[in-house]
Formats: sequence, structure tokens, C-alpha cells
Amino acid sequence: MKNISRKVLFGTLFCLGMIWVPNLTSAEEDTAAMKARIEALEKELAEVKALLKEQIQQSATKEEVQAVKKDVVEKVQAVKKDVEVAKTEQAEWKTYDSTVHLAGYGAVGYTNDDPMNDRFNQVQFNPIFHYLFKDLILLESELELAIEDDGATEIVLEYLTIDWFMNDYMALVGGKFLSPLGQFRQNLHPAWINKLPSAPSGFGHDQAAPVADVGLQLRGGFPIGNPMYANYALFVTNGPELELNMAGDEIEAVETAGVVSNEDENFLFGGRIGFLPIPSLEIGASAAFGDVALEDESDRDYEAWGFDTHWWWRNLDIFGEYIQQEVGSLASSVAPDEQEWEAWYVQASYKLLPTKFEVVARYSDYDSTHADQEQEQWALGLNYLFAPNAIAKFAYEFNDGLDGEPTDDDRLFIQLTYGF
Amino acid sequence: MIKPRYKVILTIYGLVFGFALYPGLVKADDNTKNGDIARGSQEWANNCARCHNMRDPKEFRDDLWRPIVNHMRVRAGLTGQQTRDILAFLQSSNYTVVAAAVEGDTTRTESSGLSGEQIYKQTCVACHGADGKGAIPGVPDLRTRLSKSDETLLQSIKNGFQSPGSPMAMPPKGGNPNLTDADLEAVLSYIRQAFK
Ligand code: HEC
Ligand code: HEC
Repeated sequence: MKNISRKVLFGTLFCLGMIWVPNLTSAEEDTAAMKARIEALEKELAEVKALLKEQIQQSATKEEVQAVKKDVVEKVQAVKKDVEVAKTEQAEWKTYDSTVHLAGYGAVGYTNDDPMNDRFNQVQFNPIFHYLFKDLILLESELELAIEDDGATEIVLEYLTIDWFMNDYMALVGGKFLSPLGQFRQNLHPAWINKLPSAPSGFGHDQAAPVADVGLQLRGGFPIGNPMYANYALFVTNGPELELNMAGDEIEAVETAGVVSNEDENFLFGGRIGFLPIPSLEIGASAAFGDVALEDESDRDYEAWGFDTHWWWRNLDIFGEYIQQEVGSLASSVAPDEQEWEAWYVQASYKLLPTKFEVVARYSDYDSTHADQEQEQWALGLNYLFAPNAIAKFAYEFNDGLDGEPTDDDRLFIQLTYGF
Repeated sequence: MIKPRYKVILTIYGLVFGFALYPGLVKADDNTKNGDIARGSQEWANNCARCHNMRDPKEFRDDLWRPIVNHMRVRAGLTGQQTRDILAFLQSSNYTVVAAAVEGDTTRTESSGLSGEQIYKQTCVACHGADGKGAIPGVPDLRTRLSKSDETLLQSIKNGFQSPGSPMAMPPKGGNPNLTDADLEAVLSYIRQAFK
């Protein structure tokens, strides 16, 4: 057995040897090939190494890229956020319910009356407050703060109304408002609007034109065609008060400062309608009726009438207005006579564009049953418009009144005014 | 107590009130109802110089124009629609040239399909007038500007323009942001041919 296994062992070894020996015989050539292969492999390895290195390097850049990317993403997100905020803010500005706004105007001025009385006599500030809820309710109020002769500051609540926009054609206005009769008092008197530093003769306080009143007003406009259009104002108010002269036997003036009492227990009813056949022409008619009474006396008639017009063409503006107030007679009164105040003016102004100058001329005439109140006036002015709402005015008034009365003195004005 | 004559007047007031509260008419508080810019520029030119010098659209921010136009609505007896249209015009005419220039990068170039004349009569006529001579104070006769190059004029129309010391500015695109570059070219060639 042992021999057999030995034989097998040797046989196997021999066989293996036989397989190996031929290999041995070509060993020399093989080494060369091997060398070449190894070299090739080494080269490949070097290449791979290089590649790897490159890759490693690249992966490093990738990180950087990643960082940059992150940065960019963050920035984009920030921008997006900003845009979002801006959008919300914009939406906020578009959808807010309430707005607060301060408007108004101021005026400073110098006057020289004939004979020789010159002074800086005007320092006036009129702030106007606006509070708007949706497009539904507007509160508007103007204060007038002015320095008086003795240095004290006078404060007047020029107007305060709460306006309710009921629909597209009507607003209900309640409170103290400028008289809707005519155009000067309600639309043209603010210093930056008025093209002259003074009111036309008869259109000042306690003269022919009603100034203000307290009550209710319905205002609005409606199209009549295109572009024809009309606007209106109807009102019911406490009405004016009567002022007696020094002697106490004549009614000196109708006070229309706007009072919150109504001792005569009579309301005043009235209104104005403005018609614009073409956009550059407005024709207005006003009227008011009511009863007035002196204290502890019976009623007497009160009436006011007015017509106004405005026409403009390019740089030319022409305004005209007539107004009158009348108080009826009453035999039982301490001041039995009927009284009448009547005034009118025509004003033309022309902008000398492209310069900033504007020239103005105005004629006004004030008639009254009291001769000392009457006045006829020419006013000429030269304005310099820093802006449409910031104006320097130089003006001269030629006045003709009762001899010896202040109404007869000519006046020179310089005024600086700014509306905001 | 109440005299017959006043009863009549009170009745009129009552009727007016009834009319005012008629449901179909009560819609004044609708903030979202939009005004129309083209109508607005015409209404603005027609109404806003009636009592005082024309105020520049650039004078106030969008949110401030709102109480102002409502204030003026009461003063001038404007309708709600006129007021909204004017507000839309003012709010689209007060933005700065910088904003317009940025916006310009993304301006659409295709035409809106309107002719130069149609665009002029919709957007420009309110200020410049049918004859190009200027319909309101502060707007110059276009003829005096036509010696400038197309490029300069297009730039003025697109971004808005104000000569030094001029009382009023030309709003970007006349206040109508919907106009495209092609529209502006069309309207400029209309101006060149109509106002020689
Ligand atoms: C019926 C006359 C009238 C018309 C029309 C008119 N305004 Fe006025 N406006 C006034 C008066 C009066 C004031 C001064 C307000 C005051 O003193 O109560 C004023 C004031 C202003 C102010 C100053 C800010 C303020 O609210 O007081 C601006 C701005 C203004 N108006 C713009 C306009 C615009 C825009 C229009 C066109 C929609 C217009 N106005 C139409 C009479 C008018
Ligand atoms: C709100 C009024 C208004 C509207 C609307 C308006 N413009 Fe003007 N435009 C002006 C004013 C004001 C000027 C003068 C500006 C200045 O020189 O200060 C002007 C100037 C111009 C000029 C001259 C610019 C220059 O470089 O001298 C051109 C051209 C012009 N407008 C074209 C148009 C066109 C086109 C439209 C309609 C798309 C238009 N305007 C709408 C007010 C307006």
C-alpha cells in the first residue's frame, strides 16, 4: 500500500513537474513581458493616481462650489423674502383701511396802507387734518392760527366736517363747513389758491358773501353727457346772526362765522348748482332762504343769491362772481329797516410760461345800504411761482370808498404763501 | 312750528335720502374697484386746475393721494368714478424715473395693437391736447421738442421727463404703464407726422 501511495505521490509530483518545466523553459522571455506589463501597470497606476489626485482636487472644488451654492441659495432666499415683504407691504399700502394726512397752508405778509402805515402784518398757519376710512368716511378739519395786532394768537376752527360717501353721486357732510354759496369763500380764499393777497371787496368776513355755517350738507356731482357734467350742494344750517350798529338802530352786518346756536329757531336752506357744459367753463348759481331774528324779536326774511363763473384757456384764468344778502324789514324791531349787501368781482390771471411769473388783475365792487362799507377796487398783482403751491405775491390795490374811511385807502401787499 | 315752505324743502331732502340709500347705489366703500388711468388723465386735466394751480402727480405718494382726492371729491363735487379714475392716474404718474428704468429691462416689446393715433388720443391728449400745443398750463407745445432725436424723445416718454424749473413733469409713459416699447415708437411717429 505504502508503495502505491508513494508511486501516486511521485507520479503526481512528476506530472506537476511536467507542467511546470515548460514554463521554466520560457521564464526568461516571460520576465521581460512581465516587466513590460508591470511598467504598463505602473504607468496606468500613475495615471489613475493622477486622475485620483485630480478627482480629489475636483471634489475639493465641489465643496467650495457647495459653499458658494449655499451662499447663493441663501441670498436668493433673502431676496425672495425681501420681495415677499415688499409685496406684502405693497399689498398693505393697497389694502389699508385708514389713512391720516396733514395738509394745509401758511402765509406771511407785509402791508402798506395809504397814508403811511407799513408793517409785517400777516403770520398765519392753517393746518388741515384728514382721516379717511376706506373710501367711505372722511373727516376733514382746518384750523386757522393767526397772530393778532396785540400779539395774541387767534385760533379759529375754520371747518370740521365728517363726510359720508353714500354712493358715487352723493356725500353727506355734517359739521361746520365753508358756505357752499358761490365760489370765492369755499374754493378760492386759501392763500396759496387766491391769486391776490386780499379777498375781493365785499368777500371778506361780515361783508356780502356768507363765510361759513353749521349744519348738514349733501354734495356731489353727476355726468349729464360726455364731457358735460354738473355738481351740486344742498344744505340746511343754523343760519346767520344779525349784528346791530353802535347806535343800536340799524342792522350793521350779517354774521356768518358759523354758530352752534340757533336762537331764532329758524334754519337756513339753500344750495348751489354748478354746470360745466365744457370742462373749461363752469357756471354756478346759488341761493339760500330762511328767517332771522334779533334777540327777543320776531322773524324777518333773509335771502342770499349768487352767480359765479370760471373759464380757462391754456395759461389764462378768468373768474367772476356776484353775491348778495338781504335782510327784510320789520316794523316792530329796534332796527326796522331792510338791509342789503351786494358784491361782485371779475379776475383775470395769466401765467407767463415758461417763466415762473403770473400777472393778475381784479376789479371788485361792494355795495351796501351802509355808505361807509361801500368800496370799489382795482387790484393788480405780479406773482412768482416757486411751485404751483408756493408763491410770492406783489400786489397793489386802488381803493375808492367813502372819504376818510379806511375803505378809501390804497394798499400795497407783499405775501409769501405755501400750501402743502 | 315748521312753515309749509320748509315742509316742502324737507320733503325734497327726504326723497334725496331715500334715493341715496337705495341698495343699488350704496357701493361707495368698495376699495377694490379700480379706476381707469386713461379716463383718469382726462378727468385730471379737466378738473384739477378748476380752482387752483395744477398740483404735480409726483408731489405725493400713492397712499397720500387717496385722502387728497377724496377731499377734492367733496370740494369739487366729483363723482366716485371720476375720483377713482383720477386716483389711478395720479398713482401711476408719481413713480420715479429710476423705477421706470429698472422696469424697462422687462418691458414687453410687442405692440398692444393700437395705432399711434389711438394711443395718443387715449393717453397723451389730456395733457398735450388734440393739436399737440398743450391742453393745460405747464405742458409745452410738442413742436418745440421735435428737433430732439427719436432716441432722446423715446427715453423722455418712457422714463418721464422734467426740464429744469419746469412746473410739471412728463409722467413715465404718460402715466399708462401698459404701453409697450412698440406702442411708444408708434405714438412718437404719430406725433412726428401729426405735429410737423
Ligand atoms: C372746486 C374747487 C377745487 C377743485 C376742482 C380741486 N381742488 Fe384741490 N383744493 C381746493 C381747495 C379749496 C383746497 C384747499 C383746501 C382747504 O383749504 O380746505 C385744495 C387743496 C388741494 C391740495 C392740497 C392738499 C389738500 O388736500 O388740502 C391738493 C394736493 C389738491 N387740492 C389737489 C387737487 C386735485 C388733484 C384735484 C382734481 C381732482 C383738485 N385739487 C381739484 C379746491 C379745489
Ligand atoms: C400728465 C400730463 C402728460 C401726459 C398724460 C403726457 N405728457 Fe408728455 N409731457 C408733459 C409735460 C408737462 C411735458 C414737458 C416736461 C418738461 O419739459 O419739463 C411733456 C413732454 C413731452 C415730450 C417732450 C420730451 C422732451 O424730451 O422734451 C414728449 C415727446 C411727450 N411729452 C410725449 C408724450 C406722449 C407720447 C404721451 C402719451 C403716451 C404723453 N406725452 C403724455 C405732460 C404729459
